Amino acid sequence: MDAKMIVFGETAIDRLLQWLRASSEPKDLTELLRQYLEILARAVREENE
Amino acid sequence: MTAAPTTGTDQQALAEEIYRLMVGQGAMFALDTPIRQSLANLAEYLARRERRDPAEVAARIDQALSADARFTREVVGDEVRFVTTRQGAYVPRDQVDSHSFKQRLHDPEHPLPIDDISVVVSTSRPAITTVEPVYISDYWQMQVPPPVVEHVAPVEEAPLAEAPAPVEEVVAEPWVAAAEAPAPVEVEEAVVAPVAPAPVAAAPVEDVVVAPVTPAPVTAAPVEEVVVAPVAAPPLEAPPAAPVAPPPPVVVPAPRPAGPPRNTIFTLEDGTAIDLRRPVDELMAEHGDRLARLLADRLEHDPLRRIVSFGRKYYPEASVASLGKNDLRKIRDYILERGEPLLDTELIADLYYHNPRQQDYEGFRFSLNYRLHREKDFEFVGVEGAYLWATRGLPTIGGKRVKAAEMGQITAYLVEGYDDSLELQSIEAIQQSGSVTRMLTFFEWEYGVLPLDAGLAALLPGPLLPEQRSAVLRFESPQHYTTYLVEVRYPAGNRGGWLQGLEEFFHEHLVPGALLTISRTGEPNVFQVSYEEAPEKTERVLTFDEKKNKLAFANLSFYCAVDEDQLPGQSRFGRLNRLKAFPMGERRKSEMILEHVSETIGDQIGTPDAPRYALTLDDLFVAYNVLRPGSRALLQSLLEHSPDFSADEATPGRYIYTPAPSETVEEEEEAEQPGETVEEIQPARRRYGARYDEDE
Repeated sequence: MDAKMIVFGETAIDRLLQWLRASSEPKDLTELLRQYLEILARAVREENE
Repeated sequence: MTAAPTTGTDQQALAEEIYRLMVGQGAMFALDTPIRQSLANLAEYLARRERRDPAEVAARIDQALSADARFTREVVGDEVRFVTTRQGAYVPRDQVDSHSFKQRLHDPEHPLPIDDISVVVSTSRPAITTVEPVYISDYWQMQVPPPVVEHVAPVEEAPLAEAPAPVEEVVAEPWVAAAEAPAPVEVEEAVVAPVAPAPVAAAPVEDVVVAPVTPAPVTAAPVEEVVVAPVAAPPLEAPPAAPVAPPPPVVVPAPRPAGPPRNTIFTLEDGTAIDLRRPVDELMAEHGDRLARLLADRLEHDPLRRIVSFGRKYYPEASVASLGKNDLRKIRDYILERGEPLLDTELIADLYYHNPRQQDYEGFRFSLNYRLHREKDFEFVGVEGAYLWATRGLPTIGGKRVKAAEMGQITAYLVEGYDDSLELQSIEAIQQSGSVTRMLTFFEWEYGVLPLDAGLAALLPGPLLPEQRSAVLRFESPQHYTTYLVEVRYPAGNRGGWLQGLEEFFHEHLVPGALLTISRTGEPNVFQVSYEEAPEKTERVLTFDEKKNKLAFANLSFYCAVDEDQLPGQSRFGRLNRLKAFPMGERRKSEMILEHVSETIGDQIGTPDAPRYALTLDDLFVAYNVLRPGSRALLQSLLEHSPDFSADEATPGRYIYTPAPSETVEEEEEAEQPGETVEEIQPARRRYGARYDEDE
């Protein structure tokens, strides 16, 4: 994914939702943000590779 | 052996026999399915059976079958074959369907002229806005002029008409590449830039763009993608019949250079660039707060509401357990039965018997809080780490002597910039020590209220939810082993905040002027309230008789250390009992209260006709805080900005109040003159009167 296409808070929210469901417990906002950044970074990295 | 003479009858018999043989071979075929057999096979079979020369038999068979109308002679390579069918002569099947209902329906015999395709195809949208393909007959499509594509360069039609085969996509490529192409190209869609008048053989083309090429006849070769760049080259003869191309030079393809890496930086709405190549920890440290706010805002405004939140916790909406009406009624009844706000963990344990070790405990806890938060019968009064729930019908914490609307206005000075509580203790010191020490004023002592100034705000937890207006804390007194519920009312808009619910503790153990310490504990909603103990002391201290609505002095025994300058005792502040106990709604008028207090406790230094009152800021502070809370910063601001007050230049910290002359004031003063000896009001024994002595 080209980072220019990222809309923060909208792009890859589905993946974040999947992660949250898989964890099966509420998560703190900080933890949620950290995971979201990792998801975005992974998406950009995969595209470059 | 010589061949027997063949007659017409023999030929017919031979043809009939072979026909039966072949029909038997294709007995399971359809009537019109061709049945093929080679002449060699037939000759070999009959020669062996009749013990004749195969060549002679082959000649007879060829002669007989060629004369029979039921057989068709084929020559494939060197082999001769005969074809027949079960129904006789083989007629190839006609695959063309020229008379189908489908064709007649879409291709009328005498069509009307078409000016607009919308006449034929309805453009009205269906009731349900689903995108459905609309089939348009080729006939109608052909009637409509093709749309003009602006980016397509003009194409010479005549040469293209000679294109040999359809091509899917042709992109202009250097002519060399085209020359190397060995065979004609099937082109369905070609992109061709303007071409000079050079004969280009191309197939039927739907969309053709060709880069400008100088006169060079080009024949499209069998390539899937051909890119033609503008080249000035001699005419190129490329026959359509796939000429034998010279052996192409062996070129070792250079390793394809990796394309430039994709952009890894995205930009927030405020222009902040976030580079995703950096470690997440660095991004969190630098932009964590901003990104968290942004993410929370986006999730909050997600139209699908896929992820919901309560406080700082987030959970998939689809995973939130639902609570029915019975659940809500059960929770409400239980809170009312207990008589105070309850923790969510208590509700879960007592009503649902869920164990924290259960796997779905945290999910259910989130669901309970999330659902209760959306119910109007419940109010969240918790803090971070302690989710407390109140409901309608619970007794008011702190009583009803002070109304929230009035206190919000009275403490508005805190949000108006007159909060000087941090002069003695900084926020860092408070947060580090976990305690706040403050002096108790008469108003605070009487009503059990503490203004939520910056010092207290630094110690107490803030609201968890954006619209949260209050929180309930538990204050413990380690000196007396008592516990009090305290409601924290948070500031909202131009209204200040305060704490209420400590009236009993103050009246039982403290007096105005006492030093009070509030300390944090291990629990986020539990605090300790303490004071410095001292030997018993009895003073005539100002009190308020609520029944008579008057202030009076009464003997009080207390065991706490006090600031003598702030203690409203009769010996120093003998005139305080003359203060008028205004209704609480009027006490929000800070200027009016200031003037009244100044007239009451100030030293009269003027004349009866032109009274002037002198008083110090310290005395004014004590007296002002009898009727309403106010900081020294507020008083100083009022004194400086009021035209009736002036600073006494001879004595620093002393102010002169010169009331504006008015008949009403004079009349009031005259009315007060006869009763110069103000009768002291005897305090009645009240709810906390056990410690009050009757005035002598």
